[in-house]
Amino acid sequence: MARAPLLHDRLVGAISDETEPDRTAASFRSSEENCSIPTDQSGFTRSEPLAGRFRHIGIRTSASLALVAGIALLTIAGLARSAFADEPPTVAAAADLQFALTEVAAAFAAETGLEVKLAFGSSGNFARQIRQGAPFEMYLSADESYVLELSRDGFTRDDGVLYAIGRIVVIVPDGSPLEPDGTLRDLRAALADGRVQKFAIANPEHAPYGRRAEEALRHAGLWEAIEDRLVLGENVAQAAQFATSGSTAGGIIAYSLALSPKVSARGRFEPIPEAWHAPLRQRMVLLENAGATAGRFFAFVQAPRARAVMRRYGFVLPGEGS
Amino acid sequence: MDWTALRLSLQLGSFTVLLLLPVGIWAGRRLAYRDFRGKGVVEALVALPLVLPPTVFGYYLLVGFGAASPIGQVWHSLFGRPLVFTFEGLLVASVIFNLPFAIQPMQRGFEAIPREVREAAACCGMSPWQALRRIELPLAWPGILTAMVLGFAHTLGEFGIVLMVGGSIPGETRTIAIAIYDRVQAFDDLAAAQMSALLLAISLVTIALTYGLSRRVGRRLG
Amino acid sequence: MSAGLLVRLHQDAPIPLAATFACAPGEMLALVGPSGSGKSTILRTIAGLYRPRNGAVSVEGDVWFESEAGVWLPAHRRRAGLVFQSYALFPHLTALDNVTAALGHLPRGERRARAGQLLELVHLAGLEGRRPAELSGGQQQRVAVARALGREPKVLLLDEPFSAVDKATRQKLYRELAAMRQRLSMPVVLVTHDLDEALMLADRLSLLHHGRTLQDGPPLQVIERPATLEAARLVGQRNLFDATVLEHQAPPGFTLLRWCGRVLEAERNPLYPVGASVSWMIPSSHLVLHRRDRPSRGEHENPVPGIITECLPLGESTSCALTVDGGADLSLAFSVPSHVAARNRLAPGERATVSLLASGIHLMPPDDTCPPVG
Repeated sequence: MARAPLLHDRLVGAISDETEPDRTAASFRSSEENCSIPTDQSGFTRSEPLAGRFRHIGIRTSASLALVAGIALLTIAGLARSAFADEPPTVAAAADLQFALTEVAAAFAAETGLEVKLAFGSSGNFARQIRQGAPFEMYLSADESYVLELSRDGFTRDDGVLYAIGRIVVIVPDGSPLEPDGTLRDLRAALADGRVQKFAIANPEHAPYGRRAEEALRHAGLWEAIEDRLVLGENVAQAAQFATSGSTAGGIIAYSLALSPKVSARGRFEPIPEAWHAPLRQRMVLLENAGATAGRFFAFVQAPRARAVMRRYGFVLPGEGS
Repeated sequence: MDWTALRLSLQLGSFTVLLLLPVGIWAGRRLAYRDFRGKGVVEALVALPLVLPPTVFGYYLLVGFGAASPIGQVWHSLFGRPLVFTFEGLLVASVIFNLPFAIQPMQRGFEAIPREVREAAACCGMSPWQALRRIELPLAWPGILTAMVLGFAHTLGEFGIVLMVGGSIPGETRTIAIAIYDRVQAFDDLAAAQMSALLLAISLVTIALTYGLSRRVGRRLG
Repeated sequence: MSAGLLVRLHQDAPIPLAATFACAPGEMLALVGPSGSGKSTILRTIAGLYRPRNGAVSVEGDVWFESEAGVWLPAHRRRAGLVFQSYALFPHLTALDNVTAALGHLPRGERRARAGQLLELVHLAGLEGRRPAELSGGQQQRVAVARALGREPKVLLLDEPFSAVDKATRQKLYRELAAMRQRLSMPVVLVTHDLDEALMLADRLSLLHHGRTLQDGPPLQVIERPATLEAARLVGQRNLFDATVLEHQAPPGFTLLRWCGRVLEAERNPLYPVGASVSWMIPSSHLVLHRRDRPSRGEHENPVPGIITECLPLGESTSCALTVDGGADLSLAFSVPSHVAARNRLAPGERATVSLLASGIHLMPPDDTCPPVG
C-alpha cells in the first residue's frame, strides 16, 4: 500500500492547487450574488399557523375526515327534520289543471291566508310516486281509476269526490297545414296526402288524456296510420307544448288547457265527440297524511267560488253544462 | 323567476360539495398514492356515473331507497320522512352521482405531487396529518377546488335524477333545472328564459374557473 | 459497537438486497454501484421510506428497524436527513419555509432564526424569500442540504446529490461539502455512481452490485485492490488477466507469475499456493511506457513489448492499447499525456514496450470465486 498515500496526496494537492476553478467559483458566486435581489421582509412568511396545535391530537387522517363527513350528514338530517314543521301542504294535480288550479289556489290564499304548494304532472306518475311514499297531501287525478286504486290499497282517506268530466280537443298551431276539425276528417285527409309529419298527444301509458286520445284515434280508424308519427308528451301539458310549438302539425290535448289564454293564443281548437272515448271522470282525494290546511283546500275546491273558476276552464261536473 | 327553486338548487349544490369534500380528499388521495389489487375496478366504479344514464341511476335509487325498500323504511322510522321525494333524498343521490366529479380532479391533484416531495415531508419529521395539511393540501388545492366547482355546477344542472327521485315538489325538490322544465310546460316563457339565462351564466363562470384553476396546478408545481 | 450507523439488509424480492455496512460518526461512506444496484433503496431504507423483508438498521444504539423483533420506526419518527436526487423541495414554500418545515422539534419562536442560520451555512443568505422555481439547481441543492441538516439528524443521507448539476457547480459543491464535513459529527452516507466523486469525498467505499455488498473499505483500496474480478470490472479496471503462480520468493522478494510466456514479478502474496491459477490486474496508472529515445529507470520491471493497436486522443491524455507479443488477444490499456504520445510517435501499428510496476499487480481469485482467507 506504499503507493496509495502518494496518490491520495496528489489528489488532495490537485484540489488545493486549483487556481482556475477557484476563479470560476468566485465568478459564479458573484454572479449569484448579483442575482440575489435582497428580498423584502415579506419574503419571511410566518411559520406554519396551526400545525403545532394539531401535532398533539394524533388522530389518523381517515378517521378525522370520516368524522367531518358524519357530522355534516347529521346536521343535514337535523335541519331537514326541523324545517318540515309548518310547511304548506303539497297538492299533486293532473297537468290539465295547470292554469285552473293555480287560480283556485290564489283565491284560496286570498280568502284564508293559507298557502298550498302545487305540483303538476301526469296522473299515472303521481299515483306511482304516492305509492312510493311521496309526501303529497291531496291528489287530483284526470282519471278516477287511479284514485280508486289508491283508495283500495289504503293510501287515501276515502274514495274522494268527482270534480269534473274532462274533454279532449284537437288543436292546431298557427301556420299549420291542418284544420281544427273535431271529427278528425281533415286529419285523415292530411295523413293521406302527407301534410302531417308529427302529431302530439300525451303518453297513453300513464296520462289519461293520452289514453283517451288514442281511443279517439282508434275510433276514427286513424291509429295505425298515425302511430309512428306521434310525439308523446310526458303529460298533457307537455303534449300541449309540443302541439302548439310549431314543430308539430298539431295534437290532441285537454279542453281545459286549450281554453286558457296562453294556449288559445297560439292556435285554434275544436272538441272531439265525447262518445269516441271512455269518459274522463276526474276525481280528487285527500291522502292519508293530509293535514288541516289540505282539508280546508279540499273543501274550498268544491265551494262555489272555486267551481266558477273550474267551469271557466271547461271542468264541468255532469249536469252543470259546459 | 322562481327564487325558491334557485335557493333550493344552491343549497343542494353547497351541501353536496360540503359532503363530497372529505370523501373526495380521502378517496382521491388513496387512489393517487396506492396501487392495490382491484384499483382498476374501483376507478371504474367511481367513473360509472359519468356514463350511466341518469334515469338508470334514478331507477336504482327508487328501488333501493324507495318506501318499499329496507333502507327507505329504516330511514323513515329514524327521521319520520321518506328518503325519496325529499331534499335529503336528493342530497344522497347528488352525492353519489357527483362522486367522479369530486374524486377524479382531486385524484389528479394528489397525483401531481411528486412522491419524493411527500417523502421529504416525512423525513422532515411531519406526521401524515401534518404532511397532509401543510404540504399535500396546498399543492393539491387547485385540483380540490376544481372538484368542488365542477360538483357544484353539475348539481345545479342535474335533471333526470332529480325528477325521478325528487318529484318536483316546490320548495322541497323542485330545483331550478326542474323549474325551467315546469315553466315551459306552463307556457311561462319569460320565467323559463330568465332561469335558463342564469344557469347559462353560472355554467360559463364554472368553466372559466375550472380552466383557470387547472393552469394554476401547473404553475404551483413548476 | 453501538456508535454510528449499522445496516444489515436481506431480501430476495421485489428488489434483491444483501447489504451489510457500517459508518462511524463523522465518517463519510460512499455507496457506489451501477444503476439499479439498489443504492437508493438502501438509502431509503435507512430513512424509513422503504421496508425490506429482513434486516436491521440502528444508529447510535437506537434501533430504527429490526425485522426479527418487528421493530419499524416510520420516517417521520426517525432523525435521518435525506437529500433527494431531485431535491424534493416543497414547491409552494420559500427557501426559508422549506428549511423551517424541518424544524418542528424547536419551539415556535426559534425556528425562523435557526432556518436563517442554516441557509447562511450553505451560502444562501439573501435568497430566503425565493421559491424553488426561482433558484438554480445548485441553490436548490443547498436548500435541500440545509433542510436535511435542520432536522439535526443522526445520520445524513445524500442520494446522488451532484448528478443534476453542471460540472463547474459540482466542483464548487464538492469543496463546500468537504469543508462542511469537518463540522459534521454524524455518519454521512453518500450514494453515487461516480467513482471519482467517491474517491474525492469519502472515507470509506462500499461497492454494490444487484443489491449485494461486494467490498467495503477505503476508496483507493477498493479501486486498486478489488477483492474479486467482478469488483474489478465494476470499478472500471481494464487490465484483467489470468496467470499461474510460479514461486513465492522469500521476503522482501516477489511472487513470480507465469503469464503469456513470461515471468512477471508481482508484489509478494503467499495466500495463493504455488501452481494455483489466479486472476490479476494492474491499474493503468502503474503502466510505464518505455521512451523511444532514452532509456529510463523503470524499464527493468516486467518489460512487455507489443504492438500499439489503439491510440485515442482524449483531451490532455491519450488512451492507448498495446497487444502483447505472444498473446494475440491480450491487450494492455494505458494512458499517457498527449505530448508524450506525440514525442514517442505513438500510433497504431508502431512497436512499443511498457513496464508493469510490480506493486501495481494485484492478485485475485480466478473466475469470480471467493478470495482466499489469510
